This record gives sequence, C-alpha cells and structure tokens, in this order.
Amino acid sequence: MRIENYPEIIPGKNPFKKIYLAIFLWITGRAIQAAARTDRVVKKEFEMLPDDFMLYLGVSPNGPGFVVGKDSNGKAKYMGAKLKGKSITLKMIIKNIEAAFLVFTFQESTAVGFAHDRFMVSGNLDEACRIGRVLDIVEIYLLPKIITKLAVKRYPNWKQMSPIRKHVGRVIIYTRAILGF
Amino acid sequence: MDTQKYYEFCTRVKTISGHNSLEEIPQALMDLNAKSPMIITDKGVSAVGLIQLVQDAIKKSKNKIEIKVIFDDVPADSDITTVNEIAKLYKEKGCDSIITVGGGSPMDTAKGVNILVSEDADDLMQFTGAGAIKRRLNPLIAIPTTSGTGSEMTLVAVIADHSKNKKMAFTSYFLLPDVAILDSRMTLTLPDFLTAPTAMDALTHACEAYTCLAKNPLSDSAALFAIELIRDNLLNVIKKPKDANGRLALANASALAGIAFSNSMVGMVHTIGHAIGGVCHVPHGVAMSILLPYGLEYNLHKTGHLTGELLLPLAGSEKFAAIPKELRPLKSIEIIRQLNEDLHKATGGRHSRFLSEVRNREGTQMIPKDKIRDIALTAQNDGSIFYNPEELDLEDLIMVIEAAWEGVPIDRKKIKMSKETSKVKIKI
Ligand SMILES: [Fe+2]
Repeated sequence: MRIENYPEIIPGKNPFKKIYLAIFLWITGRAIQAAARTDRVVKKEFEMLPDDFMLYLGVSPNGPGFVVGKDSNGKAKYMGAKLKGKSITLKMIIKNIEAAFLVFTFQESTAVGFAHDRFMVSGNLDEACRIGRVLDIVEIYLLPKIITKLAVKRYPNWKQMSPIRKHVGRVIIYTRAILGF
Repeated sequence: MDTQKYYEFCTRVKTISGHNSLEEIPQALMDLNAKSPMIITDKGVSAVGLIQLVQDAIKKSKNKIEIKVIFDDVPADSDITTVNEIAKLYKEKGCDSIITVGGGSPMDTAKGVNILVSEDADDLMQFTGAGAIKRRLNPLIAIPTTSGTGSEMTLVAVIADHSKNKKMAFTSYFLLPDVAILDSRMTLTLPDFLTAPTAMDALTHACEAYTCLAKNPLSDSAALFAIELIRDNLLNVIKKPKDANGRLALANASALAGIAFSNSMVGMVHTIGHAIGGVCHVPHGVAMSILLPYGLEYNLHKTGHLTGELLLPLAGSEKFAAIPKELRPLKSIEIIRQLNEDLHKATGGRHSRFLSEVRNREGTQMIPKDKIRDIALTAQNDGSIFYNPEELDLEDLIMVIEAAWEGVPIDRKKIKMSKETSKVKIKI
C-alpha cells in the first residue's frame, strides 16, 4: 500500500455547506454596502465608525467570508471575500463551518450564536455592537419576516420600521447588492 | 432544566480561602517558580495598611521571596499609560511575578501589565480580542480587597485608552490569575457604604449569569451558591462589620459569582451600569444595586422562569415552597428591592435605591436627569448587550433608565416584547 495513492481526507469538509455559506456571505457583504447607502439608520451607524474601519466577517479557518470597510469618501464599501493584504480593525470569526451553518441557516439566532461561543471577536467592542445592529437590519431587508424572526432577537413592529421603508428598501438594496453600486 | 446545546467553561484559579490565607503567598509563589514579585495596588488599599499585612505575611516564614517593588498608585480610572509605566518598572526591577491587591482597577491593570511583560511587548493594543494571547503569562496572584468584582476569577481585563476615548477588552484563559487568595482580613475594614454595593455587584453577576443567554450548568451552580452566601451574610456584615466569618463568606460569594459570569457573561444590568459609570462616573456597584431589579423585570417574559428559580437561594427553601410558581419571578425581584431598602436603612441612607438618589461625597447629585439620553447612547455600544435575552434599542434603554432614575417599577406595557419564552406565565 502506498499512502500517496490515497486522497487526503480533510475533516469536516462539506462542499454543500461551504457553497451555501459563500453565497450567503457574498450577498450579506454586498448588502451591507447597499444598506449603508439606502437605509438612514445603517448610514448613521457607519458614520459613527472610525475612518479606518474595516470588518472581516468569516468562517475559520479558511473562509468563506467578506470584508467591508470605509472607502476614501467615508462610505461603506464591500471589499471582496479575502482577508489578505487588508488592515482589518474588527474581526468577527465563526469558529467552524458547522457553527456558521447553524447561525446562517437561522437554526440558531445570531445572539444565541454569540452566547454559544460560536464567534471570536477581536477589535473594538463598540464597533462590534454597531455591526451587530447593522446585520440585524440587513437581514430584515434581505430575508422574509418568517426567517428573519429566527435570526434577530426582536422583529421590529411597524412603528419602528414602516412596511414602506422595508419593502422599498428591500428592492433597492437587493438591486444594489447584486449590481454592486 | 435545559442544558445549552454548546458551551465552554473554564476555571483553573487555585483558590486559597481562610482567615490567615495570606501566609500561603510564599508557598504559592514558589509553586509557580517565582521569587521576585511586584505588588500592584492603589493608594486606598495601602493607606489602610493592607499592603503591610501582605508584606508581613511574606516575611513571616523563612523563604527566599523578595518583594522587588510596590506600585501603589493605580488610579480609579486606570488606563494604558499606567499599564505601560508599571510594565517598565517591572522590567527595571527584574521582577518575575505579580501580586495584585485591590478591587477591579488594580486587578485589570495588573492583568494588562502581565501581558506586556510576559510577551515582552510595548503595545498592549495588539493583544485585544479573542485568541490574541497565545501563551501562558508570568505568575499572577490576585488578592481582592472588596467582595464584588470577582476579577480574581475572570478571564477578562478592561483597560481604557483615555487619549483615544476607548475601552479595550482583553479576554483570554491566560488572563485567569494563577492563584486567588481570599483572606477575611482584607475586607474587614471595608466601610458599610462600600461593602453593600460591591456585594450587590456580586449578586448581579450571579443573577445575570443565571438568567442571560450564555448560561450553563457549571456557571449556574456557582451562581446559586453565591446568591445564598450573600443572602445569609450581607446584612449581618453591614450590622456587624468585624464579623470575620461573614466577611469570608462574602469573599467566597464574590469569587463564585466571578466564576459564573466569567463563563456566562452578563446582560443589560451591566450594559446600562457600564454606561452610567462612563458618563457620570458612578461607582460600578452602586449602579448594579439599583439596576438589578430592573434588568430582571425587563426580561421577565423571556426568562421569568429562571428569575423564579432564583427565589430558592434568595429566600430559602421554606419561603420558596410556600409561593406558587407563577408568583416566584416577581417575588425574586421584590426581595432584591427589599434588600436595597434594608441596606439603605442599615447604612444610614448611604446605600442608594434609585439613580436620582446617588450623590457624591460633596452631596451633589451624580446622575442629572438630562444625562439619561447620553447614558442610553453609550449603553447601546456595550458588548454585554449581546447576552441580554430581550432586545434593547435606544428607546427601551431610555425607558428603563428613566424608571430606575425615578425609582418606580417598569411599566410593563411599554416593553416591546418579542416572542414569550418564559416557562411560567407572569401574573401582573
Ligand atoms: Fe459587575
């Protein structure tokens, strides 16, 4: 028996989950950029972030993930899927593919994911809080209520987010996220 | 009882508790292969002779331990410049370990110093965030002088950078002290108006660890015992300050609560409390005493059943059994409010019951009403908000802080409730 004739078995490898996560995170990353240019609350949160702000949200050890930062005009910008060569100020990493799959298929809400030690956060905590709120709003735009309800602690009532703001915003953010402007 | 689907728990602090446990310091240092410790403390601690006690305890036995230097100038709002200064001193004097004596500020500072000197680095900021500290640090012995923060048992250090107006959190299992020494002599002289709020801080750690999202069975058991010890000893100690057994019990309660919240985190009581500390410089324990009942009240529809379970350690088994299940959550909250009331009386009015009542030494009000919005804005960006069972937006925070300012219960109609998860229906 020659060992090199056998394929290397990488533990925990699951192409379906990885592809799902790659697509989900791609959309989310681009939707953050879009939401920051569309929704006034997200816009405000981004204004409060420091100029050199750059977020990496991804799965350990090798992704998928995305980078969102501020461009030279201080606007939110999706900067690709790769961590390399970027000076990240806030890193939010989910410990493994299985945990990421639980959180991003909403079998576990983001808050519960945090409580279950799924995330490793490095950087400034108040930036993490802002991004937590941004992600909640982005999920409300991207996903139907029945799913988002599983992701966020409390789905906003119509007083907090009017149906018009939600539905119009959803169309614009989707368009912008896919076309990337 | 539900078990978390997944959790992590770690406590590996060797704990030495007793009326003469300081005498064990030399042996503890030798076990860690250290013989040249530095002492890090603050002026308040050294002024009342507690450092002398530590020095005497070390000199008493025949050993090769030599205290190289004592730094007793950690300010109440310690920051990165203090950490750098102490780290420099540590290296100059050739120290090999740290003994930190005090409340939260000296302990957090000492943890920061230990990162710098162990990693031989100049910039603390490169070690923020999970996983940034990769190896065992130099020996650190923690000796608390208040029974509240539980820092001797926690893996976290919060260090401010005043120049950037930032607070950085460092978390790592390597930040757990090697040894915690609980000695009743260290808290014996703590005045009642400090004993009360610091113990209420410990009670808050236990209650929040038990009711917030990262609860787990190992933390829970520590939390329940902490509450019981506080129930049996706090008021007694306030009335009889020289009660060494009671003092030691409170020190144990604080350590247990520290174990609980180091592994389960805390929720909105700390979210708001940190903000009140930041905006109005109110001592942490004071804010905790006042806000604890409000946090439990706000989350009732989510975790009322857990708050109900807290009645057992809060009230004892007989009272617990006599009260029907659906009334227990509110009863727990009532008992905590009553405890604040009793402490207020026992301290001659120096223990505050609501936010508008908090005054500094000059007698001026520390939390003016017009600061409520600033407090709420700051609270929104405190990491503990993640672990609170119910969401809190700006409006919610203002509503809770206003109620705590006035000293009236929360109007439950104003709570924007997400799906009810409490297993007991709350009767209002
Ligand atoms: Fe605390």
